[in-house]
Amino acid sequence: MSADEKPAAASDASVFQKRVDRRKALGILLGGVTAGAGVASACSPLSAMPDEEKEAKLLAWREYIKGNYRTMTEEERAETIARLERLAKVKQGTDITIQSTGAQPGVVFGYAFNISKCQGFRNCIEACINENNLDRKAATQYIRIFEMEDGVIDLDHADATFEHEVPAEGHFYLGTQCFQCADPPCVKVCPVGATWQEPDGITVVDYDWCIGCRYCMAACPYWARRFNWSEPVVPREEVNTNQHYLGNRARKAGVVEKCHFCIHRTRKGQLPACAEACPTGARVFGNLLDPNSEIRWVLANKRVFRLKEDLKTEPRFWYFTD
Amino acid sequence: MRRALVIALCTAAVAAAACERSDRPAQDDRAELGSAHGDPVPDTARANPDSAVIAANARLEPGALGSVAAAPVDLWKGPGDQPFEVTVRTGDPASNTSRRFGTIARRTSLRERAADLGQYPCTSCHLGRRMVLADDRVADAHQNITVSHPVQTGGACSTCHSPDNVELLALKSGEQATLDHTYRLCAQCHFSQAESWAAGAHGKRLDGWQGRRVVMGCADCHDPHKPALEPRIPFRAPQIERTRGRGR
Repeated sequence: MSADEKPAAASDASVFQKRVDRRKALGILLGGVTAGAGVASACSPLSAMPDEEKEAKLLAWREYIKGNYRTMTEEERAETIARLERLAKVKQGTDITIQSTGAQPGVVFGYAFNISKCQGFRNCIEACINENNLDRKAATQYIRIFEMEDGVIDLDHADATFEHEVPAEGHFYLGTQCFQCADPPCVKVCPVGATWQEPDGITVVDYDWCIGCRYCMAACPYWARRFNWSEPVVPREEVNTNQHYLGNRARKAGVVEKCHFCIHRTRKGQLPACAEACPTGARVFGNLLDPNSEIRWVLANKRVFRLKEDLKTEPRFWYFTD
Repeated sequence: MRRALVIALCTAAVAAAACERSDRPAQDDRAELGSAHGDPVPDTARANPDSAVIAANARLEPGALGSVAAAPVDLWKGPGDQPFEVTVRTGDPASNTSRRFGTIARRTSLRERAADLGQYPCTSCHLGRRMVLADDRVADAHQNITVSHPVQTGGACSTCHSPDNVELLALKSGEQATLDHTYRLCAQCHFSQAESWAAGAHGKRLDGWQGRRVVMGCADCHDPHKPALEPRIPFRAPQIERTRGRGR
């Protein structure tokens, strides 16, 4: 794979250049093995395995040596997606579809959260878990709803673990998730280029490139990223089969994940699951570049603020009051 | 392909600027956020995101995203004077419930309308101003309704319901509105909420952020006789500690 063949989006391809070459060599080697399958099966331990297990092993091998999503050609992307879909079928028996839908031109996503409206029901969290195949075993959640006393915004002392009936007298609720910052510190610190900002403003993670160093978690001022300490567990019947390569597809142990504004939904014009699930209408989502969008109306007509604005990360997530 | 798109967007930009947006002030700073970091935003979008987006939105047919049953909103316009729609009361007859909310398949704690429909249609008891009901049963009717709103009027039925036809709402202007268009009634007092509602800052929007806009009506979330949401136990709390700060 030469530099000329790469898609335009692969702006920091140079970072991967050496590794890509080595990977290509490995790929050719493996290609030889799979092409001469008869020879391989005759003289390798694979021959003792059932066919499906063997196929899964070979697919996993091929997956292991693929490139970073940004440096892949459209062809390579289609290939890896086909492999991942087949792997899910062989391993779990689920028929998933993985999109590689790109960003729409002229779209930058923004979010607004009405702190006058939120009642702390956490329906958004429930919808997020189901939509994004979040690890049920570790009870991973992307969203936090903080309960604070009226009149004070102090996240350090705010409680996100309340279990009592809500809304509590004299309190208000403020939800956080990934703010999709315009100048994201998490992207700057990644040593391998496994996380980046897409043209529509969504910061995504290539789960197959992440090395799990967790620098991004330390860099994020908003506690937005989550680490998989173990292989995520999602019961087969609860898997959301509508997936995106950069979104809610299966993660593995030792990689970081985070909210991606439901990239598999929003890139097709739908609302994120949290906005659709909110029973209070506290969540407003839209295109910041569309002057007629709901989000632009909120920014122009309501009192808005962002968290830790002094850090200049430029979150695309605003809070507002009625 | 890409060049053709750029040319199309340019044409759309000129047309849009000429016919409706000529008085629009310069794009604000926020639009610049999108073009940071050398992202491949088309040149036309960078120069004039408004027109590119308007052109993109215009290509979306209403209802392309889902199947929410909705009616055009009377009298109110959304941001940019765009028409929008409100969910309607008549649901899918096959679903055996009062309504379906488009693509929402999960429990979203929307108010269950089936209970209300037990006393529907109103004409089974009310016929104009006359009651078609045995006298001894009149006292039992509407036991499920506790009127705590509007307190200022002492909760008279006729404040909101038309006495001549209880299936319609009586507006101050003398007009009548159907139960699908409750916002016309509510907006008579709650005008700031109605403004936010029309613009998308109050009330739950369905379907999508692009193309067709559908919003839920006032009575979809608020019990008109007791509008505050009921307190309840929230979904389970996060188990993972925050990596910074005190508490969790």
